[in-house]
Amino acid sequence: MAESGPERRALRRLPDALISQIAAGEVVERPSSVVKELVENALDAGAVRIEIELENGGRDLISVADDGSGIAAGDTALALERHATSKIASFEDLLEVATLGFRGEALASIAAVSRCELLTARSAGDGHRLVVEGGRLAVDEPVSRPRGTTVTVESLFYNVPARKQFLKRPATELRHALTVVQGYALARPDVTFVLRHAPDAESAGRELLRVQATGVDAAGRLNRIAQLFGEDLVNHLTPLPEARREQGISGFVGDRETTRGRRLFLFVNGRLLRDRAVLAIYYKAVRDLMKGDRPPALFLFLDVPPESVDVNVHPQKAEVRFRDAALMGRIGSALRRGLEAAKGEEPAPLREPSGPAAPPAWTGVGEVREAPAAPAWAEELAARYGGAGTGPTGKLAEVAYRPEPATRVPLSGKGRESLRLIGQYKGTMILLEGPEALFVVDQHVAHERILYERFRRSLKRQDAASQTLLVPRMLELSAAENAALAECSSGLARCGYAVRALSGGSAAITAIPAVLPDKEAESLVLRIATRVAAGDELPSEDEALADYLLTQLAASRACRAAVKMHQALSAEKMESLIAELFACEHPYTCPHGRPVVLELTDRDLERRFKRR
Amino acid sequence: MKTRVERRELLTELVAMRGIVESRSTIPVLSHLLLTVRDDRLELAATDLDVSLTSWCGAEEGSCENGATAVQARKFLEIVRALGDSPIDLSTGDSNSLHIDAGSSRFRINGLSAEDFPTLATVDQDSSSSSFEAPFPDFKRMIGKIIFAVSAEESRFQLNGALLKLKDGKVEMVATDGHRLALIEAEMSGVAEADGVLAPRKALLELMRFDGDETIRFRRGEHHLGFVIGRRELTCRILEGTFPDYEKVISTDNDRKATFDRGALSEVVHRVSLLTGDRAPMVRFGFEEKSLRVSSSNPDLGEAEESLACDYEAEKLDIGLNPVYVRDFLSAVDTEQVEFALKDENSQCLGEPVGGQDFRYLCLIAPMRI
Repeated sequence: MAESGPERRALRRLPDALISQIAAGEVVERPSSVVKELVENALDAGAVRIEIELENGGRDLISVADDGSGIAAGDTALALERHATSKIASFEDLLEVATLGFRGEALASIAAVSRCELLTARSAGDGHRLVVEGGRLAVDEPVSRPRGTTVTVESLFYNVPARKQFLKRPATELRHALTVVQGYALARPDVTFVLRHAPDAESAGRELLRVQATGVDAAGRLNRIAQLFGEDLVNHLTPLPEARREQGISGFVGDRETTRGRRLFLFVNGRLLRDRAVLAIYYKAVRDLMKGDRPPALFLFLDVPPESVDVNVHPQKAEVRFRDAALMGRIGSALRRGLEAAKGEEPAPLREPSGPAAPPAWTGVGEVREAPAAPAWAEELAARYGGAGTGPTGKLAEVAYRPEPATRVPLSGKGRESLRLIGQYKGTMILLEGPEALFVVDQHVAHERILYERFRRSLKRQDAASQTLLVPRMLELSAAENAALAECSSGLARCGYAVRALSGGSAAITAIPAVLPDKEAESLVLRIATRVAAGDELPSEDEALADYLLTQLAASRACRAAVKMHQALSAEKMESLIAELFACEHPYTCPHGRPVVLELTDRDLERRFKRR
Repeated sequence: MKTRVERRELLTELVAMRGIVESRSTIPVLSHLLLTVRDDRLELAATDLDVSLTSWCGAEEGSCENGATAVQARKFLEIVRALGDSPIDLSTGDSNSLHIDAGSSRFRINGLSAEDFPTLATVDQDSSSSSFEAPFPDFKRMIGKIIFAVSAEESRFQLNGALLKLKDGKVEMVATDGHRLALIEAEMSGVAEADGVLAPRKALLELMRFDGDETIRFRRGEHHLGFVIGRRELTCRILEGTFPDYEKVISTDNDRKATFDRGALSEVVHRVSLLTGDRAPMVRFGFEEKSLRVSSSNPDLGEAEESLACDYEAEKLDIGLNPVYVRDFLSAVDTEQVEFALKDENSQCLGEPVGGQDFRYLCLIAPMRI
């Protein structure tokens, strides 16, 4: 092919600086990753006090000062080079990483994309000061400093505009940094952490987090949790069984009162992780034991031999791989026992799962529903008739079929003329005959959907009325949650909330949406704060956040106003309910995501009557 | 146990007990009354463990045989209410049953053993740290002026009661639900210095149901409060918790003032509030030179507006208020005129009666905004 395009570029060796910058991108993503690397270095240096200062969410300045061992005079320049680390020397060492940071990338990576100053001393007075700009050493001089290291990172990404562009608002960056520090504060109750933040270089900094060193035993950990999240949370925590401590599994689970935020923290050898496999075990245990989807608080500390986990799977070390599969089983059983103790009940014996039974799945139109448990009547009958001969599992009416994958039946499209009202079942469900299926409508959720859309329309038409509070409600939040709240403040204001940040990093609600009772208004704010702080991607734009909040308001109002179960409805009322339902934008799911309409097709019925 | 009592007297006391007894209690004995015959009297007691009430009826001379039993309160009341006006004979039979004989009517109702009835808390009359005495109608009127502001939301238990504070020969009562606050302070005799104490809502509501112009004697015990009105003694557990620092909330710099005819304002607010939603009713109060324009609008319902002359002379001011809160206050006031003092649209509105009262009364209402 002829060379018609732009000039072909010759292959070139990349300049070192660029290589460093590219590599830096893997480790240094945003200010919080700098904080993370520096705090890890400080902890590895044996610090017992770490002070963090941020400006403008860390975009302008990040400084981490520790009282650890410092870096020796000859090693200081080296510390800022890539892969310079005192922590590993060989491939064998890599297999047994016992310290937090290990790849020797941190300081060099940070130095490549910022103006970085390093002040370090192995003993008082014997200090060194290095300044590196964009990866090049600019200053190297002796200086006086007490034992420890201070790394100051200014103008992060000043030389990488593409990266800088992706930084979020200062409030968001600050919240990420607080989340990181909170994580290490939980992991290391024996270390004092202080975090201060100033909006810019001129303003005075505000202390957002301060936790004093305590012990690393269970009491110390609880003390630290109380310092971060408030005493109230600690009163609702139960320790995991003592027996598991020897296997390196310890921690605390909360009771039902603690489900409001997703306060789920997993530490592996002192490193905060979001390991999906462990969380999945926890979610399953919660579903089985608490019969709910909202998980109670979890603080799980795993201390396992370094060689049994592979931390080198994620550049930010946010995930690990466990080489010991049995560990998962032990974690699962510890969590179950913990949850049972938190519920205040005796643990039930663990049962083997009874084979790969096909779930008797009814299909909600447009929404696949999880297989329901055996209905109560089936168990009752089974109990009454001894259960013998009623099927392999002793349950009556074992469903041995699996319907075809759900095809969405456009009820509204076909027009409800094609549906005939059969009647009401137990004052709870409305039964409809369709051309090719029987439809079951849950009247409560149907009405909820109708009201929800109505409320939502009226809320959007008119700004939410706000009720000022005579006495502000103080919120017991962690520093990261407070930062999350500050981030959402203008969206909250649009919904009728007024939240004021107070000194010492706490917050107070001074006005609430008038449509909500006080308690509910408060718990909605808490839920948003904890979810944002836990890293849930809530809409960050004010407009979208306000929309999300309005949705929540409308949903909670709709649920209360809707017709309840066991309420007999006349044929006229049922017809009008169905007509209104199918006039809705989304008639198939309730505002909480549950199905409104279930479909039992002729095909399904015929199969059950063994005609097919 | 055996006694003969007058029906009318017994019925009055049973009606007074009605509110204390829990009809749907999980503890069966709490739906019962304790009947005790001693010292030629029939003593009655009811409790829900938080609030207790005791009283007595005089018995016919020579009819008594000491003893006690617990009887189902609602059935007992229904029977006594349905009986004719002849004296009622009460006696215990086998297995905790109670025989009720009046005229030619005979009842035997099943009861529980008196020993199952909880021991009632008592407030030591001598060692109490603070106390007061007042004509009961006066005290009842005080409760009536603040009870509407006591929170019924169970999640905030420290607001489920009113603060009762005795100081310098005065009794102060304060209630707030976080959106509004009502305070009344009146002089009363026999007052001792003490910190405030939280009296639970239910106890106050029960006191409101009593009639009579006797003297009420209040005593504070360690964990309980005692109110003695004639032959009745109501005891309640002190509500634990910290009451908000209300002194700080009461604004002193609300200098935009307007006086209204209480009845007229109440009617205007009522009419305009007809077009507000149920859940978050809000009425706009537009203060202008010599007039107040009250208006409401609701996208689902429509709009309403009404004007009212007043003596307002300060700068124009628009403030949103919950009409229910405004009318609760207006109904609690008994003077012809009321004054509203405002600062700006974000600060609480301070309402006070105008003239002719020997006590201090005020109500704060936090504004609403759109």
